[in-house]
Parts: sequence; C-alpha cells; structure tokens
Amino acid sequence: MTSSGQLNNKNQQPDSDYKSLPESYGNTEAALLPRDPNWMFIYWEITDNSKANLAKEHGHDIFEKARHVVRVYDVTSADSSKYFDIPIMIDARNWYINVPVGGRAYCCEVGLVLPDGRFIGIVKTNTVNLPTGRVSEVTDEKWMSVSSDFDKLLQISGVEYIGKGSGEVAKSLAQRWEMLRSVFSRAASWGVSSISSHAPAGPAPEKKFWLVADCELILYGATEPDALVTVAGRKVALNPDGTFSMRFALPDGNMDLPIKALSKDETDSRQIEIKVIRTTKNDGK
Amino acid sequence: MMENKEKGYFALVLHAHLPFIRHPEYDDFLEEDWYFEAMCETYLPLLDIYERLTGENTDFRVTMSLTPPLCNMMTDDLLRERFRRYYNQRLELAEKEVVRNRNTQFYEVAKMYERKFRRIRELYEDYYHGNILDGFKKFQDMGKLEIITCGATHGFLPLEIRKEAVYAQIKIAADDYKLRFGRGPRGIWLAECAYNPGDEIYLKANGIRYFFLETHGIIYGSPRPRYGVYAPVYCPSGVAAFSRDMESAHQVWSAEMGYPGDRRYREFYRDLGYDLEYDYVKPYLHQDGVRRNIGMKYYKITGKVGLNEKAPYNPGEAREMAASHAGNFMFNRERQIEHLNGFLGRKPIVVSMYDAELYGHWWYEGPDFLEFLFKKLHYDQKTVKMITPSEYLERHPDNQMIQPSMSSWGDKGYNEVWLNASNDWMYRHLHKAVERMVDMSNRFPNADGILKRALNQCAREVVLGMSSDWAFLMTVGTAKTYSTKRFIEHTNRFIGLYEQIMGNRIEERYLADIEWRDNIFSHVDYRVFSTGAQERAAAAARQ
Repeated sequence: MTSSGQLNNKNQQPDSDYKSLPESYGNTEAALLPRDPNWMFIYWEITDNSKANLAKEHGHDIFEKARHVVRVYDVTSADSSKYFDIPIMIDARNWYINVPVGGRAYCCEVGLVLPDGRFIGIVKTNTVNLPTGRVSEVTDEKWMSVSSDFDKLLQISGVEYIGKGSGEVAKSLAQRWEMLRSVFSRAASWGVSSISSHAPAGPAPEKKFWLVADCELILYGATEPDALVTVAGRKVALNPDGTFSMRFALPDGNMDLPIKALSKDETDSRQIEIKVIRTTKNDGK
Repeated sequence: MMENKEKGYFALVLHAHLPFIRHPEYDDFLEEDWYFEAMCETYLPLLDIYERLTGENTDFRVTMSLTPPLCNMMTDDLLRERFRRYYNQRLELAEKEVVRNRNTQFYEVAKMYERKFRRIRELYEDYYHGNILDGFKKFQDMGKLEIITCGATHGFLPLEIRKEAVYAQIKIAADDYKLRFGRGPRGIWLAECAYNPGDEIYLKANGIRYFFLETHGIIYGSPRPRYGVYAPVYCPSGVAAFSRDMESAHQVWSAEMGYPGDRRYREFYRDLGYDLEYDYVKPYLHQDGVRRNIGMKYYKITGKVGLNEKAPYNPGEAREMAASHAGNFMFNRERQIEHLNGFLGRKPIVVSMYDAELYGHWWYEGPDFLEFLFKKLHYDQKTVKMITPSEYLERHPDNQMIQPSMSSWGDKGYNEVWLNASNDWMYRHLHKAVERMVDMSNRFPNADGILKRALNQCAREVVLGMSSDWAFLMTVGTAKTYSTKRFIEHTNRFIGLYEQIMGNRIEERYLADIEWRDNIFSHVDYRVFSTGAQERAAAAARQ
C-alpha cells in the first residue's frame, strides 16, 4: 500500500472490506455515456441466462455463427431510423463508439447479425445527446451581431484555446512543475493527455467547407484478473475484473502489437499478435 | 470612488476543493496532509488577507466555492485535532529552525515560517475557535465574499445516467450549505465545470441562480452568444451561466509570461523534509519515517539550474515581485476591459477562474499577489470594478438566452479525463449502486430505526463513490492506488449494506463501523434519491 499510515491499535483490520468488485450483477443491461462530440462509451452485461435463451431460440452455435455488433441508432428526430453497426466481441463487455457527426442523439443496441442479414437485438442503452463541438449556425435576432464582428468576438473570447488551448497552458507549466499532475491542481487536468496535441484542429470559422479526419486504435481484452499482461513489451494494468484496454495514436505505417499474458504462478501463458497497417490518402485540396 | 465610472467588471472565482479524506482507523494518514497543507498554505492565508483588507477598509470581491467535502472536513472534530497536531509540529520545527539558522543566509526565511505558523495558530484558535467556516461566513455576511457550493461530493454530472443522482448531488449540497451558512447557495461550481444541458433545472429547483462554464460551453452554445464569454447567458430554464476568460487564465499560467515561474519565487521541489539531517527532521515526518515534503522550503526558483544549485529564498524580494505581477495583471485587465467595452458596446464582465489551491500551495506567493491585486484595484484605478455574479445579475438582469454546450474544463474540453481506459471500469459499478439506491428510496418511503440508519449510510457511500476525484487521480496516475481503493471501498460498503437491507438482516456492528469511518453529511436523508423527490423538484422548477 502506498498510502500510508500506521494502524490504530484499536482497529486491527482497517482494510477488511478491500475486496474486488462483483464481476457481474445478474442483469442483462447496457448503458451509454458521452465522451466528446465524436466518441461514446458503452458497457453491457449479458447474463448466461439471456445467452441460453438466445441459443435455445436461434441455435446453440448462434454466437459463433453470427457477427457480434453494436448497432448505433441516430435518434435525433422521431422519424430518423438511421443506424450503423460496429463489430465487437460480446465478451469484451464495453466499447468506445466513434460517430461521424457530433451534435446528435444516439442510442445503441448490442446484438447479433445472422449470415442472412437478420438482426437480433439483445439489449438497448439509454439515449445520449452529444455536443456539436463547434460554433452554432443559429443566430438570435434580438441579440444578433454582424458576422465579421462575431469572428472577432470568437477570437477575443479565446476560441483558439478551446480543447487544445487549455492543454497547452498546462503543458508549458508541466515543464516546470511535473507535479502539477497531482491532486492539488485541477487546472492540471487540462494537460493530462499528450494525445491532445495530435488531435485534428477544429474548423477555422471563416471556411465554409472542410473535412478533418483521423483515427486511433483501441486494443482490449480480458484474462484472469491476477495475470501479468504485456502489450508490445509494456506492462498493462488490468481492471479488477481482468479486462484491459489501451488506446494508441495510430500514425501511418505498420504497427505490431504482441500481447502476452502470464499466469500468476508463472506456469502458463498465452500470446496473441495483432498487426495493424494504416495508410492515409489526402486529395490535397 | 464615483459611481458608474467603471468600464466593466472583474469577477475572481476561486474553486476550493479536496476530496473527503478522513481515516479514523489510522493514527496517522499520509493523504490527510493534503488538507492540512491546503489549510496552512491557502485557506487560512486567504482569510488572513480578507481580515487585513477589511481592517484597513479596502473593499474587495471574491467568489469562492467551498465544496461540501471541504466544509465537512473543516467542521470535523477528528480532523480538527489532527490539524492542531500538524501546525503545532510545524511551528515547533520553525522555532528550532530560527535558532539553528541565526547568522546564516536562511535566517530571514526561517523567521518567515515561524511568523506564518504563529499566525495560523492565532487565526485558527483566537479568531475562529477551530471553525474556519465562521471566518468565511463573516466575510460573506459583509458582502465581500460570495461563497458558492458544489455537487455534494464533486460528482461529475455528465456521466450520471439517472437524474435522481444529479438531483441528489445538488440537493445534498444545498442542504449542507444552509446548515453552515444560514441561507441557501446562490451559485454553484459544477465539479470540473462539467455541464450537461438540462441538468441546471436541478440547480433552479434548489434556488441556485448561476453556475460557471468553460469558454466553449458558451462559445458553442446555441444560438450564437452575442457577447462571447463577456456577459452571462440564461439557460432556457432561467439559470444564468458565467463563462471563463482565457486571457487572464493564460496570464497566470503560460510559460513565457506566467507569473509563478519567476526566479525570485519559492522553489517547490527543494524541501526541508529532504534537506535536514534525518534524526533532526524525523519527528516531523510520518510515522513510517520516510522522507517527504514537509512544506518548508528555503530556496528560490533561481533559474534553470539543478536543485542543488538553487539560491536562498528572500521573502522580501519575492513579495516585491508579487506586487509587481499584481500591477501587471491589473494593467492588463484595464486594457482588456476598455477594449471590450468599446467593442461590445456594453460593460463586459471578465471572469477569472482558478483552483484556490494554486494560490499558496503551488504558487507560494499567490496570496500576496491577490492581496496586492485587491488593493491596487481598489486604490489605483477606476476602469475595473470587482463584482460577484449575484451583484452582476442584479445590475444587469437582461441577458441573452442560450442553450450552452456540454463541456468541462478538463483536457480536450469534454469528459475524457473522467472516462478513459484507466477509469471506465468504474461506471458500471457506480451506476448500479445509484440504481439500487433509487430503488431502495422508492421502496422504503418511511423507514425508521436501524433501517433508516442503514439507508442513510447507503446514501453516504453512493455519493462518496461519485467523487470525480477518484477517476481524475486514476487518469493522472498520482495517488492511483489510493483513489482506486477508495472507489472500491465505498462501492463494497454500499453493496454490503444493500444486501443486508434487502435480506432484512442488518448487522448493527457492521453498520456502526461504516458510520464511524464515513461520517460525511451527518444530516443526510436517503429519500433525496427517490424518483418522486427528483420529479417533483424538476416539475416545480419548470413552472
């Protein structure tokens, strides 16, 4: 234990309730959380009972035969029935969902797609409203300003600092005070991730048409909670339930990700190797 | 000063918060030091400034959040005793140090610590009799300081699914505030400035009139904000939102012109806990005897040199620098406000928001800077008027109505700091606890006796698990073990009590032990989590 203290003699077992959390709660359910204009996080639990019922209804090999997906519905308006599927593994129990457009309402459903294209929904999430991540197109008559003024207003309001701006502030500080990454300075929460500087820059307000795109890599898996796991030689911290996930920047080129798990008694091991190739082509316009 | 000569307003907002850290099961606990250090370096020095300014009739305005966990720690008997032990030890060491350093180049700085710890004792004991909230309340009652609240445990609201949880965070906080300050809170600091559109209805339901947003909360709001971040807006529910000015934030923080990095200021990393001879310093370390920072430092930043090449700290020189930086900051606010006034055709409000602990703990001369700034703003200029958000809204009730955007002041501006691979595993457990808490509140509308005690303790465990601090510390990697442990402990205590309640077999000893450990919110009423309470509050606020 890093945090410390000497035991109070009156209480010899201060940590008696420091045990791991339940692996499951016995309900088939799912939840969706907003992360930013383009990302959501979904977690789910599907009980053995639910799985058995699906197998009874659709055949015992249903989970091998069908593709596992998260179906992402755009539910911004009542009549919208747009959706797309993201391939997943049901045993992963959670996933980060990338959506092409912010500012919309989404709801997800974990399910199976049969070889003939039929969809079997297993469990649905709540609805999440994502922020747009940009300046509104809507103006307000009573409070309108001329648009050139608005661009200037954005500038003096510090639009250039949004997102990466506050990160830059903290980064410059971090050069002097590494320890700013500590509890006392909530301002340091600005500078937590170094990824921010690689994020695509937002649209310049004066340009009408634009496109930015980038991609990242999420690696996840699960093993025994007490196993030792390395990814590309780096030790990975497991969650209490034995799952793990890592997010990588994904530049153009090849990336090898050997994943190794070693059992706690060091008598058994498993290895999976993932190779990823990224190529980006830009029309240069 | 003449009325109405000002060209605009400046609102200084300090967010004071620490997670609830109190471990009666240990005689001596490392993480409790976070609170003691903040008391000695930030909270009491701020009160010291307010006392002095008031004594010399200098008018000033500050808006300060004192979060419910902090208020609960400040009024807790155990922590009160431990804080006394802490400053008395420091004072004892400071007194020895004055003798040891006589005729050395460290004499001035040694004297400074002795003087400061004496003053801390004087303020804490003679002025406030161990209850520093009385000090803050005094300045609030004078109209100089506006104390605002925060979610009950600094909960990160956009990542809650159940509205009952959002309501409970606000309602418990507002009730706690009333208990301590004798009236309801007018404003709130949403933890991490994290805003989820629509949640402000629960602020309104609790009589809260305004909150704060990060810059893009307003800039990305809809329709377009007419005055950018330089005027508050009303959400559709009628609650006002003030937004952060980046220019003044940048001025304190940036590498090129940021004040705290000046070479004359105190060096944080060269600490007596490491410099003194081991046997001499050991009584002032924790019981494990490991050398750590003890908060007394004798060197200045000096320049880009190694820690062993630092020059002795000169308190007088550092104070002069703080005065000069305050002058520079004021000059820039005057120019900024003049410019904005001309450009906007309206008196702008510049809202500068900082962690309170920046002033004193991280930037040791920060409180001196603030004191000089208050004085200069009062005596040396007429362009800028200091104001609190409540005063502003009274003078300028006519503001644009905008739906602000989801936002936070965390890295990248949204929820990622609190939702990433290092902490996303928490949410299924947290949400399950909330769901079960809501179910129990709905199921037992009139519990009494031991059942009521158990349900109230469940409510405490759920809100403690909701602290955004745990997820934050997991992300930054500092105190990760401690924060993980805390989250797991509160969740397991909740599960243990939940199973006993549902199995109709509550063990009094088990319950009493948890009550003794997690004694935050002694007056909490578990029914705050009921669906009915949340729905009634929202319906009343919408009318």
